[in-house]
Amino acid sequence: MAPEALLSPLHRADGSATYTHNRYSILGAVNGPIEVQRRDEMPEEATIEVNVRPAVGVGSPKERHLETLLHSTLRSIILVRSIPRTLVQITLQIRSLPEEDAMLGVNTSLLILPHLLHTALLALLFSSVPLRAIVTSVLVAIPFTKGAGPLLAPSAKELMRAKPFKSIHVFAFSGDRKMLLNESDGVFGFEEWDEACEMAEEVCCKEEGGVGLGEGMEVDGQSATENLEQWLREVVKSKVEREQRWRVAT
Amino acid sequence: MASTATPPPPTPLSFPRPIFAALTPHPFLHAHLSASKQKQPLRANGRTAHESRQLGVNTGSLTHCNGSAVVRVGNTAVVCGVRAEILTAEEGTVDEFPASSNTNGGDEDEDEEENGYRNGAEDERERYKEISALRLLVPNVELCTGSTPALLPGNAPSAFAQTLVTRIRNLLLSTKVVGARQLRIVHAGPDASLGGDTGGPNPNREGDEVMREGGEGEGEMEIHERLVKGYWTLYIDTMFISLDGNALDAAWLAILSALSDTRLPHAYFDDELEMILCSDDAARAKKLELAGLPVPSTFAVFESDGRWGEDDDGDGEGEGEGKSWVLSDPDTFEESVCQESITVVVDCSTSTKAQIRKIEKSGGGVVDREVMKMLVKRSLERWKEWKKTLSTNSRAFF
Repeated sequence: MAPEALLSPLHRADGSATYTHNRYSILGAVNGPIEVQRRDEMPEEATIEVNVRPAVGVGSPKERHLETLLHSTLRSIILVRSIPRTLVQITLQIRSLPEEDAMLGVNTSLLILPHLLHTALLALLFSSVPLRAIVTSVLVAIPFTKGAGPLLAPSAKELMRAKPFKSIHVFAFSGDRKMLLNESDGVFGFEEWDEACEMAEEVCCKEEGGVGLGEGMEVDGQSATENLEQWLREVVKSKVEREQRWRVAT
Repeated sequence: MASTATPPPPTPLSFPRPIFAALTPHPFLHAHLSASKQKQPLRANGRTAHESRQLGVNTGSLTHCNGSAVVRVGNTAVVCGVRAEILTAEEGTVDEFPASSNTNGGDEDEDEEENGYRNGAEDERERYKEISALRLLVPNVELCTGSTPALLPGNAPSAFAQTLVTRIRNLLLSTKVVGARQLRIVHAGPDASLGGDTGGPNPNREGDEVMREGGEGEGEMEIHERLVKGYWTLYIDTMFISLDGNALDAAWLAILSALSDTRLPHAYFDDELEMILCSDDAARAKKLELAGLPVPSTFAVFESDGRWGEDDDGDGEGEGEGKSWVLSDPDTFEESVCQESITVVVDCSTSTKAQIRKIEKSGGGVVDREVMKMLVKRSLERWKEWKKTLSTNSRAFF
């Protein structure tokens, strides 16, 4: 099931997006480039501030950790050197989590990380902050049971059914197929990790053969659900189409 | 012409080293890595790219802790103290885990045997659940005033410290170095004559056997559910006296050494007083046994066309664009100029095959699958160094 995205739900933010996938729902807002506090100002590049707000309560060290991960990943895709001495502020409010989230017995921050990244990217895309590349991310869960294969971007229900897990991996790839982020947890060998990485790359990045315009669009009913980059292109395309309605109508 | 052209180059180079490093850190490190004529490029701190710093471990230096360690990794110095406190199992807390300590535990053990995965006798999920839900392991990280120039004293814990605590807590929980069984304070039940005898050299072992026997007979389940009378909660306080990069590795080394040094006093449930008592007898205190030896190795990636791209074009003409070095065990200076960092946690102690327990990578796209393979190899070498250091300093591991 492809994620659902609602773009620009907030009118005052420079860019915003609501993202819902597997019953994780996140609202993201981006303000930038804006004025930066003197103490955070960097002479040659933009400061990036990421705030993650949990669904319930106030932020804890767990959210700080997520913020640090998001910060370092987004810094490598935002062209920070083209907007020096400014601030790009990214706020991500987690709106709802699946009920099973806490009961899975795995590190919950890994489960939400891909969703946070996607929300941040969508909000960034529509805030017109200069970006070097896009980033797509996916969770790979390898269950203990021998017969069961790895789960790709599973929902909480699927995870519940397949637990316990041998290892959980989160990968994020940029549009040019570079691995920007990897968080792996559990017990695994390098071969398993390598395999998980390859699977994740297939899901995140578009096939190199199918770079063409027509082919991907025609079979979008099928492939858009399987490929995150294609899904992202669809989201942007529908948004642009909607904004160009006035032209088409005449 | 030549005579006028030659003087300018020495002038920028005539800066003393520290000023060059402070003014333009990125070209400074780049000059070091690319200039040396040897096969192995040397870093600004004199190490080769693959070379890690020496480890120094000193355990048992704090007298008021159950276990402690002072650790040095280069200029990073960390003190870690483990303090054990008793968490009495109130009605509510025990009720949360009645099934997990008996019935589920048995089932899971069988499952794991089927899968060919052995993790002691304890089922892995329940252990995680108990320790994380009751918060039996409480790590904390404090950066002392003056440990690093970046730290502003008197402020709330920085995002850096909070991130570090979260990473350490995740590592403690996911590697499961401390098993819940050792932290349980077990009572053999009022009718069992074992009540006083559980104070053998390894009381929990015996308690566990009692539980297992009970697990087979359905009727005895009720009694054994009341066995866990309390838990030891370990407060793991880590303090950075001096921070010169690679905080996680140093903190983890300190934590592992302190935990391996930890002795828990013999605690038992007294039927008459109806409370948990601790025996004064040091001989009956029990050493905490750690499961496995997970060793983190942190790497930083230095990119020549990183933040100061234009400067580099002038400096290193021979180097192609996008040349990068993976530096083992980075210090603060290197961390400040590197964007990408990778931490690989490996453990070779529990099985013959090397296991990866965790990989954390963020900040850039230089490290791909090929490079990661090399990093895992480097981590395995580092594991041997850790094992050597720790086994000479404490007998807990072997």
